[in-house]
Amino acid sequence: MDDILAKVREVFHEAFGVEARMITIETTPNEVPGWDSVGHLDLASRLEGAFGVTFEVDDLMEMESVRDIVRLVNAKL
Amino acid sequence: MAGSSGYNFAGQLAGRLGEHSRLIDAATGETVSPSDLPRLISSFAARLLAAGLRGGDRILIGCILSPPSSIAYLGAMYAGLVPVPIEEGILISTLPELLKRTGARAVWTEKSAGVKELSGTGVLALDGHPGEKRGEPGPPAPCAESDLAVLVATSGSTGQPRFVMVSHGNLAANTEAIISSQKLGGDEQAMLILPVSYCFGASVLHTHLYQGGGVVFDRRFMFPDKVLHAIRKYECTTFAGVPTVYNILLRRSNLGSIVMPSLRRFLQAGGPLAPERVAEMQRAVPAAEFYVMYGQTEATARISCLDPRHLDEKLGSAGRPLDNLRVRIVDEEEREMPAGQTGEIRVSGPSITLGYLEEPEESCRVFQDGWLRTGDLGHLDADGYLWIDGRKGTFVKMRGVRVSFAEVEARVAAVPGVYECAAAAVAHPEAGEALALYVVPDKEAQDIVERVRRSLPTYWTCESIKAVAEIPKTARDKVCRASLAEKAAGSNG
Repeated sequence: MDDILAKVREVFHEAFGVEARMITIETTPNEVPGWDSVGHLDLASRLEGAFGVTFEVDDLMEMESVRDIVRLVNAKL
Repeated sequence: MAGSSGYNFAGQLAGRLGEHSRLIDAATGETVSPSDLPRLISSFAARLLAAGLRGGDRILIGCILSPPSSIAYLGAMYAGLVPVPIEEGILISTLPELLKRTGARAVWTEKSAGVKELSGTGVLALDGHPGEKRGEPGPPAPCAESDLAVLVATSGSTGQPRFVMVSHGNLAANTEAIISSQKLGGDEQAMLILPVSYCFGASVLHTHLYQGGGVVFDRRFMFPDKVLHAIRKYECTTFAGVPTVYNILLRRSNLGSIVMPSLRRFLQAGGPLAPERVAEMQRAVPAAEFYVMYGQTEATARISCLDPRHLDEKLGSAGRPLDNLRVRIVDEEEREMPAGQTGEIRVSGPSITLGYLEEPEESCRVFQDGWLRTGDLGHLDADGYLWIDGRKGTFVKMRGVRVSFAEVEARVAAVPGVYECAAAAVAHPEAGEALALYVVPDKEAQDIVERVRRSLPTYWTCESIKAVAEIPKTARDKVCRASLAEKAAGSNG
């Protein structure tokens, strides 16, 4: 799980320009500038590329925190 | 329309609230009841006056999609103050600049943590739910129809934020024309995901309350299904969105399977939505009518509306001018163009605003003899329908928000290692348009693309950044944006 989190943090850095260390397992959208509806789609497609997974619409709806993202990615790997 | 000194748009609106006029925060379920709403507006107005503010004073209002910030906005106008609605995050990050530009005497945010360090500036910092600290409710402040009612932020061609001066009469005229064009009844409930600081969001708030209806606010559109479920739960009748919103609904939501029996209409404005997407929306939710509209902040909000009964026949058009507006098309020599021929769109009528705040020259250029020069290119067809053919090419419109190329280029040029840069707009499936940036590095800086990317605000959508040897220029040494856009389109296949 720690490996996944580290990679997720890198994707956040690429997508939103935030420093990777600012992203924790507890981080939620309102703490990250740019993590809005369009940012969410960008983040999802970058995550798909980084992990080689595909998200369904319902997966996107569940990504309400970094914790949710790590859980979803882990389930798909 | 009343023309007396007893004219106050928020006062008129408060007097028309009805049994359906509730404000709901969909995320928390917090509800302001129809019996409380008029009193909250007038008592917030009283609180502002009791704090020493006077008619005509400007007050920055930190907007989040919530009932309190809308009450604060309406309450300030009711008191005869001039609210300046600004998205809360932007307000907090650019406060000194906003205070300087608007001359605001006060700032209101929902939470006290929002605004700090105002002591010594003479600017009042107010916070809290408008219902918490009540003043004694009173009548609306008397205003003239031509008095300034609100300052609405929009992006300027120089890259500086600019403020459009909207009068009480402008708001009433546009509100009434929109209500008629959308056939709004007295029992409407809007789902609002657009901020009230944006003229389209404000127009939805105004029209629905003015008709005795209500508004549900939802700031969770990044999870579109939550908003769709809230439409169902709160029995919303209207949904408003910019092209980005509809692209997301079509591609990344369960629009087709979440049943919304109360929904009567979708409203779309804020840039062109591909006709195929409009048709897809109709197929996905056939029971709700789809209204395509065109507008500008400089014209209060809306200019034209395509009646859904003619949607199939006129798909791709922005509809007919609202019933109190005149539209004409002119060429560069100011000659009126016949039907079918493209020129600049000019608009006149009672919702054409007073001009830009403290920009007399630009106001004179854009607002001439009661006619607004929109800067948009279009044509009228033989039936009087307006078709938008493009813009004069000084803006990119990302997620429904105009950003000038000058602003983009100034920001990129400030990145160390950038010798020269140019921006073009390219089509983007979610954002509507996105930036394609071309950068000439002043030395072989390997990470120039990455550094430029990091310098961009997160609310801009950037499709590509390319390091190039030179920027294509016209004979008059202006950036040749058409060739840049072609280049971007070509390189993206």
